Order: sequence, then C-alpha cells, then structure tokens
Amino acid sequence: MELSRKDFLKLSIPATGSLILGGGMLMNPKLVQAASASSSKMDELALLYDSSKCTGCRACEAACRRANELPPEHKPSDLSATSWTCIKSVELDNDGEKEQVFLKRQCMHCTDAACVRACPNGTLYHNEYGFVAYNRETCTGCGYCTDACPFNVPRLDGNSFMGVNKMSKCTMCTTPGLDRISDGLEPSCVNTCPYGALQYGDRSELITAANQRVQVLKADGKSGANLYGENELNGLHTMYILQDTPEIYGLPDNAKISFATTAWKNVLQPVGWVFGGIIVVALGINYIVARANSNKEAK
Amino acid sequence: MSNQIVEKYKKPVRVLHWVHTVSFVLLFLTGLVLFVPGLSGIAQGSITRIIHRLGAIVFIVAPLVYMIMDPSAIGRGLKQAFTWGSEDMGWLKAAPAYYFLNKEGNMPPQGSMNTGQKMWWFITLVFGVIFVITGLIMWFATGAFVQWMVVIHDISFIVAGCMLLLHIYLGVMHPLMNEAWGAITNGNITAEYAKKHHGKWYEEISKAK
Repeated sequence: MELSRKDFLKLSIPATGSLILGGGMLMNPKLVQAASASSSKMDELALLYDSSKCTGCRACEAACRRANELPPEHKPSDLSATSWTCIKSVELDNDGEKEQVFLKRQCMHCTDAACVRACPNGTLYHNEYGFVAYNRETCTGCGYCTDACPFNVPRLDGNSFMGVNKMSKCTMCTTPGLDRISDGLEPSCVNTCPYGALQYGDRSELITAANQRVQVLKADGKSGANLYGENELNGLHTMYILQDTPEIYGLPDNAKISFATTAWKNVLQPVGWVFGGIIVVALGINYIVARANSNKEAK
Repeated sequence: MSNQIVEKYKKPVRVLHWVHTVSFVLLFLTGLVLFVPGLSGIAQGSITRIIHRLGAIVFIVAPLVYMIMDPSAIGRGLKQAFTWGSEDMGWLKAAPAYYFLNKEGNMPPQGSMNTGQKMWWFITLVFGVIFVITGLIMWFATGAFVQWMVVIHDISFIVAGCMLLLHIYLGVMHPLMNEAWGAITNGNITAEYAKKHHGKWYEEISKAK
C-alpha cells in the first residue's frame, strides 16, 4: 500500500481537474436566468387580505391544503412545510377594550425577496406574475432562505439533524402541476373565502381599493388602520389591511434585507472565485518557472 | 552521510494529518457544491450535507482524541503557531526567489516548521476553531443571526480553501519539496534534506542525540 508522491499526483490531478471543469460546464444558464427574471412584469397581480373582514373561519387553510395537496392538519398554530397559510389570532386594544381579530399568514411574495437573494442556486425565483416560486427538485435544503426571510415564511421539511431537507412555502397557487393562476383562476384561498376578506387582481387597483377601505376604518374609529405591503421591500404581492400598527400583528414595521443575506451571493461567492482562480493560476505559473529553474540546475 | 535518515513526523502526527486531511477534503468538496451553482445538482438529495456533517464530526473528534492521548502537544502546538520572529521576516523576503528561482540566497535556517508551514498551521488552528463554532451554530440553530455564521464560515472557507490548494501543491508538486511527501507518509527524510530545509531543527536534533 505504498503510494508514491508521483502516483498520488497522477491520480489526483485528473480527478480534481474533471471535477472543476465539470462544475464549470454544469453552470446552468437557466438557473442564473431564473434568478434575474424578477424585473419582467406583466400586469402586476397581488392578493389583498382585509383583517377587518376576516372571522378566522380557517376555510382558506382547508382550501389551500386541497389545492396544493398538503396533508390535513387541524388548526395549525404556525406556518410549516405542510401549512402554507394559517390564521393567527391577534388581540387589539381599543382604548382599554380588548378585541380579538385575525391575521392570515402566508408568503408575502416580496418584489425584493430576501429568499431569492439568499438562495445559492436559483431554486427560488420570481415567476412571470411577480410571485416568488421555487423548484422543489433543485432545492438542496440549505435553509439560507428560512434564516433570511424577514417574515419567517419558508420552512424546511424533513430531518434537520441529518440535514435531509426541502424548502416549502406558498407559491400563490403557481406550483407546476397544481397551477391555478395560469388556468385563469384565483388562488384557492381567495376563491374560498366566504366573507370577502380576500381579494385577488391587479395590484394598483387593489391598492386604490385598500386605501379607501383604510379611510372607512379610520372613520369608524380605528385610527391606527393602515395598508401594509404597498412599499415594503419594493412592494409586496400579499398586502394586508390592518386595523392597528404592524407590530401588534407581529409584522416587521420596517422590513429589511440584512447585509448578511446579500453578502453571500453578491460578495463572498464572487470573491471566492477570484481568490480560487488567482491561487490556481499562481501555482501553475510557479510550477512552470520553478521546474524550469530546477531542471537548469540539474544540468 | 547523504543516505542517513531522520524521522520528521512520528506516527501519531501522520495518522492525525491523514484523518484530518480526509475529513477536510470531504468538507471542502461538499461545501463547494454551494459555491458552484452548477454542482448543486449533486446536493439535491442532501447527500452532500450528510457527508459534510459526518466529515465535521471526524474534523472535530480527531484532534480532540490526539490532544487527550498527548496533552503536552497542546502547548507545543500553540507555541509553534504563535511564536514569530525576525527569521520569519527573513523567510518571507527570501521566499519568492527561493520558490520560483531555486535561489537559496538569504533564506534563514528554519525550525521544524518553516515560516510558510507555520502560517498554514496558524490558519489551521484559528480557522479550524472558527469553522467548528460557526458550523455547529448553523447545524443546531435557526434565525437571522445564523446568516452571519454562514458569512464567517464562508470567509474561512475561502481563506483555508486557498491555503489548502497551496499546501497540496507544495507537498506533492513543487520541485524543491521532493521529500515532503515521504515525511508525512512514512515519516522519514534524508539528513541532507533536513539540513537544507530545516537547518535550525536539524541542529537541535543533532545536539539532542
């Protein structure tokens, strides 16, 4: 089992060479395209949830499970890999008088989406409608998106100890094979809501309608009423009519993407390639020069 | 005289070196799949993450076992990594001519580790600890701060990964380091090589005899 230095060289050079070359050739342009397709917009569509009309009946949860073939679960307390939407109860304080209201949690489909920025291989991307979709097959389960999302939406299923995971979240009913939007239908939660708390359609029309509704609520005594999502992260595609401040609903008042999220893809990955490239080239040059000089001396 | 053999690395050191090498190369390659989007296809079934975690366990446990078996090595190892002197500056100045042009020139006599090896040893210790701390947090915690652990883990990856390439190159390819492979496989180098490459160390062991 004597492996000489020469044997080791002979074995390792083609092995590493083919790995690096293979990796380069596999660089899938589609992945890169998908990641940058966010800017191409048709008529911008969005979902609007009116918390003042929601009764917390959870019909949207059931409809979402049916439409997206998710396993049944009774009254989930939080989003999960198998609960893409859930109703959360919130307590408002109307000058000392408590009032229980609801918030429908789901993916906010941000225009500037932290998860899309954090995803190392373009698994998460903006689809043609501006919604944040993903390719479940290419997901490696790294979980960078789950740590990056300011709304804590994407979740991993599987075994977190061994790290055998896939990310899972609401796609606004655009999951391939279960796509309602391309068929001209509304998202299943919107379609099912019996109280008109959910609307779906042209984003700017929804904003106009939402602002009118906020005025009505304000006139009704809800002085803190506001529209959430018009400008957050360059505009969310899930917008909320809230009866009080975002904090009371557990939403970030000033949703931001951390530098740590963008640092990976925008700084570290390119820097890694530059340094890796420099060292490989430098070592190659050194080998040529040093060998020529030591051969000269040997003569 | 020129056929005389001296032992450069004792067996436990060599075993630790190779166990750690296997684990670090596995960690390097399974981490690389996230840096090269084209390689992410391999990672889709999370198999690379399983290998990464198994590799991490070996990476952590192997040095611990070594330190338990030989506690005095801890102090020795730390001292070597953190003792720097004027000879190191001399080495740095003389290194380009030496490694490119085969000109020994003003190369000061080196100890058991030359300045370059010491730099690598320093990086191995410091970034090894950083890798372990940030990696364990990434493994067992969730939350926004974990993203910073990823950033630090990946800075370490770039530094240690580049140095790994340099280390492998010097060990197996550089024309002048022709006995480095023997030193870390069967443990021996010739007295001639020892004198030339580790003059200070050779003097010490000759005196000790």
